[in-house]
This record gives sequence, C-alpha cells and structure tokens, in this order.
Amino acid sequence: MDVAEMKASIKEIITNITNLDPEEIGDADSFTQDLDLDSLSLLEIGVDVDYEFKLGLPEEEMRGIDSVNETVALVTKTLNEKNATAEVA
Amino acid sequence: MSRPDSTGGRGRRPVVVTGAGVVSPLADSPAELFAALCRGEGALGPVEGFSVAELSSDGGSEGNGSGPIPDLAAELRGFDPKAYLGKKNFRPLDRTGRLATVAADLALADSGWDAEARRQREVGLVLGTMFGSVHTISAFDRRALTAGPNYAKPMDFANSVINAAAGQTAIWHDLRGVNTTLSGGTTAGLQALGYAADLVAGGRAGAVLAGGADELCLESFLGFGRAGWLAGTGYGTGNGTGNGGGAAEPRPVPLDARRNGFVPGEGAGLLMLETAEGAEARGARVLARVLGYGSTFDPSRGADDASAVSAVARAAALALEEAGLDAADVDCLSLSASGSRDGDSREARGLAVVFGDRLAELPAMAIKAHLGESLGASGAYQALAALGVFAEGRLPGVRGLEATDDGLTVPSLDSAERPVAARTCLATALDFDGGAVALVLAAPATAEVASGGA
Amino acid sequence: MPGADSQGPRIVVTGIGAVTPVGEGRQRVWEALLAGESGIAPVESFDTGAYNVHLGGEVRGFDPARHLRTVDPARLGRASQMACAAARMALADAGLEGLEGEDGADPGRRGVAMGTTSGEPREVERFNDSYVAERLGDVDPRFIALYPCHTIAASVAAEVGFAGANAMLPTACAAGNYAVAHACDLLRSGRADVMLAGGADSFSRITYTGFARLGAIAPERCQPFDLERKGMIPGEGAAVLVLEPLEAARRRGAVIYAEVAGYGLSCDAHHMTGAHPEGDGARRAMEQALAESGLEAGDVDYVSAHGTGTPTNDRLETIAFHRVFGDQARRVPVSSIKSMLGHTMGAASAIEAAVCSLAVSEGRIPPTINFEQPDPDCDLDVVANEARELPVRVAMNNAYAFGGNNASVIFRGVEA
Repeated sequence: MDVAEMKASIKEIITNITNLDPEEIGDADSFTQDLDLDSLSLLEIGVDVDYEFKLGLPEEEMRGIDSVNETVALVTKTLNEKNATAEVA
Repeated sequence: MSRPDSTGGRGRRPVVVTGAGVVSPLADSPAELFAALCRGEGALGPVEGFSVAELSSDGGSEGNGSGPIPDLAAELRGFDPKAYLGKKNFRPLDRTGRLATVAADLALADSGWDAEARRQREVGLVLGTMFGSVHTISAFDRRALTAGPNYAKPMDFANSVINAAAGQTAIWHDLRGVNTTLSGGTTAGLQALGYAADLVAGGRAGAVLAGGADELCLESFLGFGRAGWLAGTGYGTGNGTGNGGGAAEPRPVPLDARRNGFVPGEGAGLLMLETAEGAEARGARVLARVLGYGSTFDPSRGADDASAVSAVARAAALALEEAGLDAADVDCLSLSASGSRDGDSREARGLAVVFGDRLAELPAMAIKAHLGESLGASGAYQALAALGVFAEGRLPGVRGLEATDDGLTVPSLDSAERPVAARTCLATALDFDGGAVALVLAAPATAEVASGGA
Repeated sequence: MPGADSQGPRIVVTGIGAVTPVGEGRQRVWEALLAGESGIAPVESFDTGAYNVHLGGEVRGFDPARHLRTVDPARLGRASQMACAAARMALADAGLEGLEGEDGADPGRRGVAMGTTSGEPREVERFNDSYVAERLGDVDPRFIALYPCHTIAASVAAEVGFAGANAMLPTACAAGNYAVAHACDLLRSGRADVMLAGGADSFSRITYTGFARLGAIAPERCQPFDLERKGMIPGEGAAVLVLEPLEAARRRGAVIYAEVAGYGLSCDAHHMTGAHPEGDGARRAMEQALAESGLEAGDVDYVSAHGTGTPTNDRLETIAFHRVFGDQARRVPVSSIKSMLGHTMGAASAIEAAVCSLAVSEGRIPPTINFEQPDPDCDLDVVANEARELPVRVAMNNAYAFGGNNASVIFRGVEA
C-alpha cells in the first residue's frame, strides 16, 4: 500500500468518526487543535486505524498521534517492523 | 358533570404543552403527522435497513427456529439528521440518539426555546425508551467478540448505556435541567410525559421536554419475531410463548377481529411541558394541558387476564381522579392497541371497567394502525394525536379496521376519520411486561365554560 | 430546586436489602463495609485472558432460589434476580414481608422504582453468540422478554406483588439515586403508600470490555482520591430500600433508619463519558439537594462520594465539592465504598443510599480503603482505611453518570 492509499484510508476512518469530509482533513492538521476532536473520538480513531491495518499496537503508542501524517508514519513504521520480523523468522 | 377547564394535578401548578417535535415514518411535524393519520396513510412496508429474509431463514440447531418472519415494519426511511441538525458532527450519536436529538430540535424550535433561552435557564429532558439502542450494544459486543476486546469501539460503548440518547440530546441542545430516561415497552413514552408533568407540577422544573424514542433494528425485530409477537408469526399474544412457526398473513390492525400481532415501528416525539404561568409569562402559545397521570402494574406480568385488565382500569381511574374529571368528561381516547391479540383486548376491557356502557360511544383512535408499535415513541405519537384532535376537531380512523371481536365492548371506532369535537382525551398503554399507564390531556383552557359533557 | 414543593409527608427509609460483592443482606453488608472488606478479585464469570486487566467486583455464590418465592429465577436475567432478592430482603427488614392482603394493604398503593445502567447485557451476549455463529434460529424466544431493562422493575413488582406505580430509570451510574428520588416524589404526592426503590446491574463481558477499552480499569485496586489512583473496577450488585411516609412508619412501629430530606438532579450537557471540567452539574445537584432539604453545606456530617477511582472523576468531583462546601470542604468526612465493592453501576448509588441511611442511624461511616497518599487535587477529609464513629445527622449521597446525569440525595436522622 502506498502512502497516498494509506492517507485516504486513514481519512476515511476519520470521516466515519467525525463526519468531516476528507477534503477538510489536512494531512498536517492537528486532531486536537485544528479539527477539535475530543478524547473519545481520538480513542476511536486509534482503535479503527489499528483494526484497519492490523497493527496490534499497545495503547501508549497510539496516544499522542495528532495528525494524519503522524498516523501514516506510525502505521508505516509498524508494518515495516512486522515485515522485518517476518523476514527474519 | 363537565369540568373541562379543570387544572387537575391535585391542586398543584397547572402543566401545559407549548410545543412539540416529531420525526416519524409518516411525517416530521405534528401537523403533517396528524394530517397523514386522518388521510388514513400507513407507514407499513418491507424493511430496507436490514434483510428480514436473512434473519428468519435459519431453522435453528434444534429445528425450532423462527420460521419466516413477515417482512413488514413501519420504518422511517431516508432519515437524514443533517437536514435538521446541519453540518455539526452527529456521528457520535447512534440512530436512537439522532432521532431523539432531531425531535428535540424541532420541539425546541416549535416552543420557542432558542439557544439563548436555554443558556439562561435550565430546560430538562425526560425520554421514554424500551431499548435505548439494543443495536448499538449488540454491535459493540459483536466487534469485540470477533476482533478481540482491544478493537471494541469506544464510541459504541458510550452509546450502549440506555440513557445515551437522552445524554446526547442534552449535550447537543444544552439541556442542563433534569435529565431522566425511563424504560418501558409500550408505556415508556406516556410514562415520560407523566413523570415530566409531575416535575413541572411540583415546581421541580420549569420547562421539560418529554416523550420518547426507539429505533427499528434487526436485534429487536428478530427478538419480537422469535417470541411470536409480530403479526403473522404465530400467536401474536405478546406473552413470549414462541413463534408457532407458521406464518400467517400479517394483520396488525388494532382491535380487529382477525388481528394477529403488531408490526414494529420507530421514531421520536417530544413535547415541551411548562407551567401555565411560565408559558403565559413568556407569551408562549398553549397546545394542551396535562391534567392527570396514572401508573400501575399487573403483578402477574400478563399471565392473569383479570390482573392485566385491572391494571389498565386502575391506571385510567387514577389519571382521571388526578385530573379532577369524571369518566363522562372524557371526549375521546388515544389507544395503544397495536394488533396484539391479548393486549388490545385487555386495554379495551380495562377501559370498559372505567367507562361502562358509555365506552361504545366514546370515539377512539389507534395510531399504531398507521405507525406500528414504536415503543418509546408510541406514547408521544398517542399524545400528539390528541393534540391534533383538539386543534382540528377531527379524529383519525383506525386504518384497515373491519370487524371487532364478538362480545368485546370496544370504543366507538371507524376505519376512516370523522369530525369529533373533543376537549379532553385519555391516552392509555399496557406494556408487554405488566406496566400500565394513563394520561389525561385537555385542550387549552378557554374563558368560556364549555357546554359539552353530562 | 428552589421552589420545589416541600409539602407532603416526610419520607423515611424503613428497610434495606442488598446483594453485593461483600455479601448479602443489610447486616452482613454493613459490617463488611465498616470492616473495610474488599469484594474485588480476579474475574471468574468470563475469561479475561485477552484483556490487560483482570479484576472485578463480582457477586459470588448468589443463589436466587434462596430469596425468590413468586417468580421462577430461571425466567429472569441476573440483574433482575439480584434485584428481586434485594427487594425480598428489604421487605423482610422493614417488617412488611408477607403482607399481601393480610392487613388490608392495597397492593395498588405499593410501587417500585429501580435504576440500572445496562439492564441484562448477558442476554445480548447470548444473542450474539447465536448471531456470530450464524445460528439465528437459536436466539432464545424469550430474549425480548429477558433483555429489556424494565424487566428489573417489573420482576421486582411481580415477585412481591406490588401493583402500583412501576418505574425503571436507567440513568446509568446515578440510577439508584434517581430511583430513590422518584419513589419519594410518588410517596409525597400521594400516589403510593410504600415504595421499593433501588438499583441493580449485572457483571458482564460487554460492560467490562467497554471500560477496559476506555482505559478506565485499574490493574490492581480501586483507590478513590489517592494520588496514585489508576481507575475504577467494574462490579455488580443490587440494593433496595423500603420507603414510606414517616407517620405510617411510626404508626406500625417500624424501625426508621433515616429520612430522605431532599434531592437534586442535574445534567452536565457536556460530554458522554467525561464530566464537566468545573463540576458544574455536580455542583448544581448538590445545591438543589441542600436547598430542598432546607439545609446548608455546613449541616452535612458525611458524604458518600461517587469516587470511582479514576483520575478524572475524583479530581472533578473534588472541584465541585469545594464549590459547594467552601471552607467546610475539609471538615466533612468523605468516603467511597467503591474502593471495596468496585463500581456496581446502577446499584452503586442504591447501595450508597443504604450506607448513608445506616450512617445516620448508627453514627458510623465506612472507610475508603487502599488510601495511601493524599492527592492535592483531592483535598478532602477522606475517611482513610478505617471506619469512623461520629454522630451523623445529615449524610449526602452523590452519584454522577455517563451521559452527564448527576444526582444528590440527602439523608437525615429522624427524631424519636
């Protein structure tokens, strides 16, 4: 999956949770400051992103993620680590 | 003795209705809903939101499965919260929450309680519901079951508590007064109205939205079907005795001799209740007065026929007593009859205890003929129908009614609308589970003494 | 609220019944709470292997058949079973047991008001077991009769034969207080002569999963108001109080625990799972309760806090508390029995109402256990770890719920 697809997927998750149109979600927009999302929405985004990409991440790693870009970075990193582990195994 | 201008309420503050909002399968305003009822429109049709065929196809591991459940409900199609609530994010609200929030939006506008007024004073909310949302709690659990607890959706959990819709509505509309949810089956909406009227009459609240909401969903649809309560699913007795397995042609017609169960509906309706004094002080127009309320219970939970009938009779008597009215002062009835074989009969017989021979002359409407069994919303629909009669002097017919049971004394019923001059209305409900409630509503008080009544 | 009618009879508590993680029955539960016993243990009713928390306040060894005489327990969900058992115990405690028709008492003048958070969620779990296995034909035909939460109030009334007003108030974690408040209103307005009021909730995978998913569950213990508190612990249970007018109670020589002096209800209208940041709704509920009772903050001798043990609740509750109690805030002893029972949801404020009634009656207050380090953000006189003896003329019971429902009920001693 390339970055553009990943962003689109993440934005769709955010849309489902916030009713914002994908066009309204800037890649660098802060979830808390710019999009004004509350803690429950952030938690739900974290759960759905994890579910979508099968990340299996511990809670703490999802906390603090505050933009689409940061989410993409975390997802990419996690998937890469999983692939690396898979290759070694 | 006619006392149509009674203030009711055991000498406490008179309670009035200053506005209402409704979102229903037939219409999204009280006036349009009443017009549709009078035209004899019905909302019954195949379900679009889920596949009934898939729900009822499984014979069960022991071969005692549902058998086919008729694909029939009074569904609110094309419900678009955005059209009412605008662009703000209503995604955290589930369907029941959206229905309630929209009904509140309409009721607040209709009664003139704008955002600034709500900022300055605490407006309350009392919501009657059977499930809140059984769909939301079920979906939450299914996701956790299939994907593991870490993937359970937090927003669904927030909506799995039965008071979620009331909480969401209060957040949306800044309703900081008393916020109560009352749970019941068919009785919840009327019970909410009675509870709210008591708060206002007792000086505990100045303005309260009251009514109910429930949604149509596969979980409750299947549950009613498996119990054999739905029209055409076996016995339609409402006693949970199980679906006889043989589907008959569904006939969800209140009090009809060939009725065989109800059809599930959905929606939300809220009425703004205030003190008469408060309404006058702010120049609000009054749609009706709430004169009395009664709540009773059948300890046999429907197993004993006489006990069930007694619960209805006692609730009606208590409501009339509180209203300061005699049976002769009641001009029309708003029944909760839904097509349930036992339920409809028991309601009628309970009313016969109170009204005696006069029952046969008392005009009655049964809105579930048009709107199905909408649980929490039903009580609001029943009350709104009464308001319509007061305003327009005509009474909706019972859609599809042909003959009634031999030997059963029923109110004066017609399948078509007719002119009826009514200044008082008694609304009743008997629950699946033994609860019975009655509410007495009256047209706005006038300076002239009415000449009607004995 | 100011302006609420205080006319009508004074209402008193004459019977208490309870099913809790520390035992059953008024005496056993009260003694256990005073002794600081904990009912928290590893969850047994389902497998918590996939979770990173494992503790709960479950009711163990509950046998409904020991209490129910009318309704077949097999026809009830667990919350209803516990509610019926608590109701039976309360009626016996009040000396009203077995009175159906015997003293000419009209069952139509006796009613029930109960509260809950989720009703019978285990029935949804059973429904889903069939759904997920794609065996919808296995869904119990009784699902629709067993699941809806109003069956709790209905089954209690059926069990004890009460034919009067019947109300189910599922206002989540404040529900017990809402039920007590409503029952008092019905009695004061003359709609009933005796009311059973309380709350019940059943432990369930669904509820546990939800709180775990919110990160709200403490891993080791529940430490309300403690600096190191890490969360709540889900529990279950039921409590029922018998309420009646004071004069009637006196006439029949009933034991009177306390008077329900007044209550206040409010709504945050702020957030579904988070309280108002300035404790505004909680403050208003407390103030209304005091006003209706004709009391001031300085009259309160004990507060049973909502005190779930989450970092946020306890902090916000303290803020509201200080706004109401002002310079009295450090004088009034406060405890949270959730430290011992966990959060029993709809039963919580009903059990706490029983505690307040007994505190008033006996002049003893239960502790907040697991209290080790005070939190400057929770600047309260926490009754730490050991019960206290002191005269309690006025006790306040506070409860705050998901959806922003707040309720405060005040109990007061009755003169002989």
